[in-house]
Order: sequence, then C-alpha cells, then structure tokens
Amino acid sequence: MESLLLTEIKTFEDNRLALLGRAKEKYALVKGDQIVGVYDAKLDAIRQGYQMFGNVPFLVKLVTEVDIPLNFVTNYFD
Amino acid sequence: MPSFTIQTQNIESTGPLVEIHLAIDATLESVLKAQGKTIPNPVPVLAMIDTGATATVIREDLAQILGIKPVGQALVTTPSSAYVPCYEYLIRVLFPNGITVETTAISASMQGQPIQCLIGRDVLKHGVFIYTGYTNTFSLCF
Repeated sequence: MESLLLTEIKTFEDNRLALLGRAKEKYALVKGDQIVGVYDAKLDAIRQGYQMFGNVPFLVKLVTEVDIPLNFVTNYFD
Repeated sequence: MPSFTIQTQNIESTGPLVEIHLAIDATLESVLKAQGKTIPNPVPVLAMIDTGATATVIREDLAQILGIKPVGQALVTTPSSAYVPCYEYLIRVLFPNGITVETTAISASMQGQPIQCLIGRDVLKHGVFIYTGYTNTFSLCF
C-alpha cells in the first residue's frame, strides 16, 4: 500500500540535513513539497496543520539525524 | 487529582481494561465547525493500559470511523518485527470521570484482539498508574 504521506516524507528527507542545522529536536510541519514551519511542540505543529489545511493528511515529524522507532513489548501490528 | 478505579473479576487474565471513548481533537473540531461539517460522535472502545507500549495505539478502522486523516508516520518495533511504518493520528482519549487526554496514536490492525486501543506511556506520563493485583483493581490518576 502506498503511503498517503509519500510526498511529505520525501520532502522531509530532502530537507533533513538543512532542518538539522536550524531546527534539531523540533517538529517540522510538512505539506506536499513544502516545509511549512518548525515548532517546539508536536501538538502545536499538528494544530497549526489543521488550521492551515483542514482535515487532510499532512506530516509532522521530529527533526533528528535518524528516525527513532517506537517500541512495543507486545505485538498488535501483524 | 481526577482519577478512576476499576475492579475486574480476574485482572491477571484480562489485564487492566477500561471502557473509554475516542474523539477528534478540539482544534479539528473547531475547523470542521467553521466549515459547516458534521462533528463525528465520540466512539466507545475497550482499551488496555499497557506500560510496555511507547505510544497509544488504535485499531486502524477507528480512524476511518472518526473520519480523521494521518498527521504523521512512525516506525514501530515489536518482538517479531522491526521498523514497520504506521500512521499517526491526533485523538482525544475520554476516560471515566471526565478525564481527557489529547495524544497522537498510531494505528495497527490489532487482529484477533478483544481490545481496540492500547493506552501507552505517552498518556501514562501525565499521571499515576496503580495496579493492585491481589484486589483485581487498578487506578489511573491525573
């Protein structure tokens, strides 16, 4: 299944290095091929996304060198 | 400090289960109202408090029922899989006694499970979780 956020993830990856230089550990709000902004808090970034774009898919992602996976000791994902 | 306590017949067998409601975020609710769109009703689900879960998880069909779209994508690692991409959604968790927590939840199939939601440490970080096995009770305080 193709991700609904494929374009946004590519945009983030294309800009990851630049974002690391100015917004490490902040949250990037990405829509289409645009980095819309960076925010200190994840929920602030999401709320801004709702206000700007409405109820459509957009990407809020922590700016780090590598993605850190979420860990679960039980498996509900298969 | 708002709290609730639940007693079950056999907490060892069932785990700490609680009936909650899931709702859309307040900001999205305002946006939908401004657009003249219908606000989806909160959805009742059975949830388990899971201290082994980094994040809250919802069964994947619940996002469709609530009519919400993904606001992120996270990688998930479990004992049997690694770096599985999962959508993230902003939700409101409505616990008993009027306790409300907003958080981002990831969606998963949760196939064959009697529960539709895991309450993870992203929610527990705001409160106190007390599991008393010999009385088959647990409490959550915020």
